[in-house]
Amino acid sequence: MSTISQSRPLTTFDQPPSQRRFNIRRVIIYALLLFGAALVLIPFLWMISTSLKTQDQLFVRQINFIPNPAVPANYLEVWNRLSSINPGMTVWRILGNTLFITILAMIGEIFSASLVAYGFSRFRWKGRDTLFAIMLATIMIPGIVTRVPGFLIWRSLGLLDTYDPLTWHSLFAWGPIYIFLMRQFFNTIPREIEEAAIIDGANTFQIYLYIMLPLIKPILLAIAVLSFQGNWNNFQGPLLYLSTPEKFPLALAMRFFDQSLSKEAPQWQYMMAMATMMAAPVLAIYFLAQKQFLEGINVGGVKG
Amino acid sequence: MKRLTFTVVTVLTLIALTFSIALAQDPVTIRISTWAGVDEAAELQGLIDEINASQTGYQIVHEPIPSEYFTQVQTQLAGGTGADLYWMDQNQMAIASEGVFLPLSQCDAVTNAAPMTAGDLSDYYPGILAVNQNDGETYGLPWIAQPVVVYFNRALFDAAGLDYPQDGWTWDDFTETAMALTQDTDGDGETDQWGFINNGWPPPTIFIWQAGGELISPDFASVPIDSPEFVRGFEFYLSTAFNPELSPSREIISEQGFNEMFKAGVIAMFMGGAADDLDRVEGLDVGVIHVPANPETGSITTFAWNASTAINANTAHPQEACDALVAITEAIQGWKIVSPRISQASVEHLVASEPRKEANAEAIIAAAADMRALPIFGNYAEFDALFWSEFWGPLLNGETDLSVAELAAEVRADLEDTLP
Amino acid sequence: MDLGVLNTYLPTLIRYVLVALGLGAVMLLVYRVQLRFGIKQEAAAGRALVTPWVIGFLVFNLFTIGASLYLSFTDYNLFRAPEWVGTDNYADLFDISAVPLESASQRSSDALPRRHDEIIRVTVGDSGFVVGARESDFWRSMRLTVIYAVVTVPLGLAGALGVALLLNQKVRFIGLWRVLYYLPAVLPAVATALLWRWMFSSSGIVNAALSPFLNFFGLPAPQWMTNPGLSPVLFIIISLWGVFGANSVILLAALKGIPKELYEAVDIDGGADWAKFRHVTLPMLSPALFYNLVTSLIGALQAFEVAAFIPTPADAGTFLNWQIYQEAFNFRNMGMASAMAWILLMLIIALTALVFRSSSAWVFYQGAREGA
Repeated sequence: MSTISQSRPLTTFDQPPSQRRFNIRRVIIYALLLFGAALVLIPFLWMISTSLKTQDQLFVRQINFIPNPAVPANYLEVWNRLSSINPGMTVWRILGNTLFITILAMIGEIFSASLVAYGFSRFRWKGRDTLFAIMLATIMIPGIVTRVPGFLIWRSLGLLDTYDPLTWHSLFAWGPIYIFLMRQFFNTIPREIEEAAIIDGANTFQIYLYIMLPLIKPILLAIAVLSFQGNWNNFQGPLLYLSTPEKFPLALAMRFFDQSLSKEAPQWQYMMAMATMMAAPVLAIYFLAQKQFLEGINVGGVKG
Repeated sequence: MKRLTFTVVTVLTLIALTFSIALAQDPVTIRISTWAGVDEAAELQGLIDEINASQTGYQIVHEPIPSEYFTQVQTQLAGGTGADLYWMDQNQMAIASEGVFLPLSQCDAVTNAAPMTAGDLSDYYPGILAVNQNDGETYGLPWIAQPVVVYFNRALFDAAGLDYPQDGWTWDDFTETAMALTQDTDGDGETDQWGFINNGWPPPTIFIWQAGGELISPDFASVPIDSPEFVRGFEFYLSTAFNPELSPSREIISEQGFNEMFKAGVIAMFMGGAADDLDRVEGLDVGVIHVPANPETGSITTFAWNASTAINANTAHPQEACDALVAITEAIQGWKIVSPRISQASVEHLVASEPRKEANAEAIIAAAADMRALPIFGNYAEFDALFWSEFWGPLLNGETDLSVAELAAEVRADLEDTLP
Repeated sequence: MDLGVLNTYLPTLIRYVLVALGLGAVMLLVYRVQLRFGIKQEAAAGRALVTPWVIGFLVFNLFTIGASLYLSFTDYNLFRAPEWVGTDNYADLFDISAVPLESASQRSSDALPRRHDEIIRVTVGDSGFVVGARESDFWRSMRLTVIYAVVTVPLGLAGALGVALLLNQKVRFIGLWRVLYYLPAVLPAVATALLWRWMFSSSGIVNAALSPFLNFFGLPAPQWMTNPGLSPVLFIIISLWGVFGANSVILLAALKGIPKELYEAVDIDGGADWAKFRHVTLPMLSPALFYNLVTSLIGALQAFEVAAFIPTPADAGTFLNWQIYQEAFNFRNMGMASAMAWILLMLIIALTALVFRSSSAWVFYQGAREGA
């Protein structure tokens, strides 16, 4: 990690052969960057644009990004339609479900992953490296392999169609990538810090809580963003475990809308309104925390 | 820290207890899950409101799951969660053999039912009720049995100077008429009007049964698809599909849409469910008649799409669920057409349920007398998938060089392996 | 707020707290027991800390994988006890036949059993044999999934490298570009899958944008959803949009971490840009590339949301992950689904192992060189 700050980015432009070539290259670089940015932004803007259109503005030969007239009411109407088919599916209920799942899973994930990473990094014990290797190998296990037996486990606990499989399961450090990222971060912290604390008579938990957690704050933030994003966007888990429509989070509510109300004649303005609503909180958090977030996800990748 | 957690846990537990006590004092709630879409759900809610207002024993709550209904229902049944009552169509009803539904012999509302009410099992067409029966037990009350009938576009018959189909018409009349109505009306060298349309639907069983064949023997011991009767019926079925002399090609159907082509007025005859809205398309004068008869047997047997309501075996309130089942079935039978009950096989009942069907009510009632349901058994889904992939599909799509009889002889044993 | 709402949240919340407390107690117990047996405090604490993961691993990974393997040898429909059927499920999936040909002119389809398609045909002189496999949704989906992974992973990686190299030039507003390029990776997969279905629908924006070009050549508008040949193309386009950002951010950081002195050494040797890229950038970047390669490969083989929201024609198959889900929870063939899942697991392990095997040839670890 330290290398990021130590070395200045070095490019071939440090010694330009000639001023002219320099300029042409810069023009090409910016042109490419703009082209790429357009590729990224056009679908995104199309989503927002569609969400504000009326039904008869959807299918026209002329591509038009500016809705005329713009109907922000689509964002309310989509919920009216959902609750017209199932009165339990109100905007507050669905948002509440999504937040409930996301927040509980996020807390569990961060808390357990940081403890486990701490155990894998700051303590020497026999079998540690073997276990760590096993943990990394679990990244390869496709979720679907464990899904059928997992379903049976939750069934035998009588917890199907509850939020349990989506929430407290996270307390068992289900995200190997997060453990890996945090361990990388723990490894960069000098040992002297906790040695001093031990001399002061602090116990393991106190060291973790008062010394380690503040030190790993950057990666915690990055993982919090990743985790929020992952759980908010989660589709597979809820699809498997939830079967009562009013318990659905946003991802399933979107599928519900798509499969029931929009099956015959797709009502893209409503579906895009829902998609925008679903994306908005994730985007907001991403923009607010983007600096820490982008630094955070580098930790694992660079040293991988 | 510890004290804080303790306090939180205690408070939460207390709140939970309070709520569960509060909930326990509610009147019994009976939840019914259906695949009803928006309009259908609104109409059903009207029926439910009436039932809820008419008694105090229970309150029915409707939980529509119009998206991936059966997947969700299977998950609920497997998980022991879910509603008290479920809508099940004939194919889905096969799951009854897994013991997930309450046998109706345990329902006082059914065993003590007054004659000619929804709880009276003897008032149902036996063939339709059989879909819901397994090992001598009945697991669901049917609320619809919708026979396939022929819709015909009068204007096209008039233009061709042909008589409308009449009672007692046969396969030969049908083929002859369909060919005569397949025309190039604008003279550009390409057919633009067809006598019939078949894209796999209607079900081949109509013709198989009429010819005297069986898909599965009544005792579920064999699959006699190589019998001459079966072969005769299936060959006639194939002769109506993608046959340029009387029906449009696969490509044209996928471009213009199946129902849409009839509604657009380019198809003269269409086999559809009796409840379809094809006879009230604006600008179209459509008649209804029973399916054509097999010329040798004279049979006008037709296929009936049917659906029932069943009780979750895990329901917490079996007797209330039984009462609710009978009440809601009675209500639906006065709403959906065609009612699966013999005592309701009248033009009056049908028109009272669906006034828009008045003009063709007689023909529908006539067709209902000869309807049959699929031979449902526990493993029907696997049988059906295999029947399609090994036999029906290849023949329909021309993917095999074998004749119907040859292929039937080859796949019969594989199909029989799926029988109970 | 009505009671029903709280009634669904509260029990879960209570169990959440209880499980958390229980886990804490177990950790403490693990710690105490080790101390009792005279294990050093450091080791005891370390083991206690990883206990939550160990329990989770044993129950939700090891046990489930074992159970899945067992189920793959059974016929199980969730309602009746699993029935042991040996290798039947696998045999059904790998329904491969090798048939000798009677003559060189005999058609493969005549020699092969019903519904089997030719894979390979070998004729020597007047006779030979033909190998065929039973066509099935599973193999169609396998084909789509593997094509998808094999095409999108290298393309996505090359694209991400390109973006990272661009961003590593001295560009203004680097933060802005970086945020922008990462954007697709943040959006919910469910939302983007729907968005792409809308954009690629037969009268959607993509066909509208293509129409002048298509009209010029007199071509019909492509039917992305119904033409089996276009399905993989559609999915590859979709995946490339998302994958650039996530990988390029990591590669960019790796680029920034390359010490300046290495480039200067090439300068002294009179090396050109290409030489710098070939001999400094690529080797120094290879660990990050390797990491991205492995994670994107595993991710690509498990595509799910796009399959759930974008229908494919039957001939094209769908993504294996979705196919397995359908087999298990729609058709209730838990045994068959488990067998399919195990084949997917083996595929992932094999491909990952292949990447790892090859890595010694192209992945360059700085530490390793220094040690040598």
